[in-house]
Order: sequence, then C-alpha cells, then structure tokens
Amino acid sequence: MPLRRLFGWFKTVFGKKNIIKLGLYGPPNAGKTTLANKISMDWTGEPVGKVSEIPHETREVQKKERIVVRAGGKKLIMNLLDMPGIATKVDFEEFMEYGLTKEAAQQRAKEATKGVIEAIKWLEHVDTALVVMDSTRDPYTQVNITIIGNLEARDIPIILVANKLDLADANPDAIRDAFPQHHVVEVSALTGKLVDELYEEIAKYAK
Amino acid sequence: MSIEIEFISSEVLSNRKSDEKIEYILDRVKKNKILVVEESMSALEESKLIEATMSQIKGKFFGIEISTLKNKGLEGIRHRLIRALGGTTGGLTVIGPSKMIRKVKKQPQSISLLAGEQ
Repeated sequence: MPLRRLFGWFKTVFGKKNIIKLGLYGPPNAGKTTLANKISMDWTGEPVGKVSEIPHETREVQKKERIVVRAGGKKLIMNLLDMPGIATKVDFEEFMEYGLTKEAAQQRAKEATKGVIEAIKWLEHVDTALVVMDSTRDPYTQVNITIIGNLEARDIPIILVANKLDLADANPDAIRDAFPQHHVVEVSALTGKLVDELYEEIAKYAK
Repeated sequence: MSIEIEFISSEVLSNRKSDEKIEYILDRVKKNKILVVEESMSALEESKLIEATMSQIKGKFFGIEISTLKNKGLEGIRHRLIRALGGTTGGLTVIGPSKMIRKVKKQPQSISLLAGEQ
C-alpha cells in the first residue's frame, strides 16, 4: 500500500495523528464484543454492543469513539471498532439450533454475510488491530491466517489476544506456536483478568 | 454418496486476473466440487474470495471451506518476480463447499480434510 505509507509519512512529518482506529478482528464467538465492552466500560463506563452465544451477534461494525486510555505512561485516544466475525461460511440452519425460527435465522444469515464483507473492507482503514482468538480452540485456521496475512500486507500493527483464559481448557501457548512472529497477550475479557496488560501492549504497539 | 475432486494446474489460473480466478473457483465449488489447486493464494486474494463467497450465499450454498499451504521459500521479491514472469510459486490451495467438508485440519506443512454430506 504505497499510498497508505506515503500518507502515514506525511502525518509523521507534518502532524501528529491524534486518534487511533483500533479494530477488533477475529472469527465469530471469539469474544470480540465482550472485550470491546470491557475496554469501553473501563474507560467510558458504557458498553459497545450486545453479546450472545449465537454466532454472528455482531453483524455491523460497532464503534465507540474517542476512548481515552492511559497506560504505559502514555495517553491514547482511540476509536474502538468492534468488527463482525469473519467466516468463510454462514449457514442459517446452525442458527435454528439455538431456537431461532427459519425466517429469523435466514435474516440473521443475510445480515451476517454483509457483516463479514464490511469487516473485510475495514481491514485497510484500521491503524492497529487486536486479533481476538478463543484460546480453547485450534488457532491455526484459514480465517485467522487470512486476517493476519491481510494486516501484515498492509503494515498494520497486530496484537494477538488469547481470550477466554477463564476456561479450564484454554491453551494460549497454541496461539504462540501458530503465530510465533506476533506478540500474544492472554486475557479473559469476561472476568477482566490480565486486561491491564493488554492496555500496556496497546500503548506500546499502537500507531 | 460420491465426491468429485478436481485437481487444477497452476497454469489454468495463471492467465486470469484476480476476479476471474475467484469466479472460476466459486463456479466449480458451487457445483459441489472440491478443488485442489496447484498454487497458494495470497492473503489479499483469500479475503477477496471470502467477500465474493459471502455475496453468493443463497439457497443451498452456505459458503466454503478453504485451506492453503504457502511455499515459504518463495516469499518477497523473488516470489513476485516469478509470478510476473508467468511462473508458479508453489504451494497448494484446497477449497470446497462447506456443506461437503466436515472438517479441515491445517498444519504448517499439511492439510487433512474429511469430506462427506453433513
């Protein structure tokens, strides 16, 4: 992305970028909205969006603007962007297993497909990305590889978040093994465990 | 139940633009074929493929399963030069309709796939 680099260079030389667009990426049900809510609650006292066990609850990009985070001796102003989960398939019949009617499930699937497209289109507009993974699941999936590959190709700083540390079978080391080139932060967005360390990492790597 | 697997030479895709390549792949996958392509896709191509897949989910087509093996030895300038000269950069891509692929297990140097009607 030569234009992006040129634009970034102009910003660095002629002015300071004040607001960081922080995107939360990952597959569905990795805990992106739970983490976005935790971050937003910690610094603004307000949540970002609704959480559900049914996949694709977030079907549009949810924003919380001008969050002021103080960590690592820095003051960061961020626009938090909670992205719809990225998937290669959306099957309405899976939603019916959670008790949704066929019509509601089909509507949810239709909105979910649009959400995936929107999340992908946003990849080139975020400044820093948190790639959120469920640390009880195999991280070496094509969706995670594609998300990380796209961010790498655009020179966007990446922090991998090994979420759901509160669960007994969490294995954050599997994420480290799968993506050794990136920094991994272990958290439980649900309980708030180690989220302060994530703020330190954001302060260190965000640009 | 029979499963059709199509092995596609990198030469078939090499002369196609990115959008044409994606259209070629999705046309076949929507006909319930599992494709093994003698080429890895770039992350940007993969995201375009996901976008195109999402816009085509309808009726009995619920999406795809995809897994790629990259040829790590051919990254960077050399990789791009080989592609520019019309050569192949190695790697492998396996793509199929999500309804027919029960499980894909990816490792850095191998892909195992369990197929069958779900």
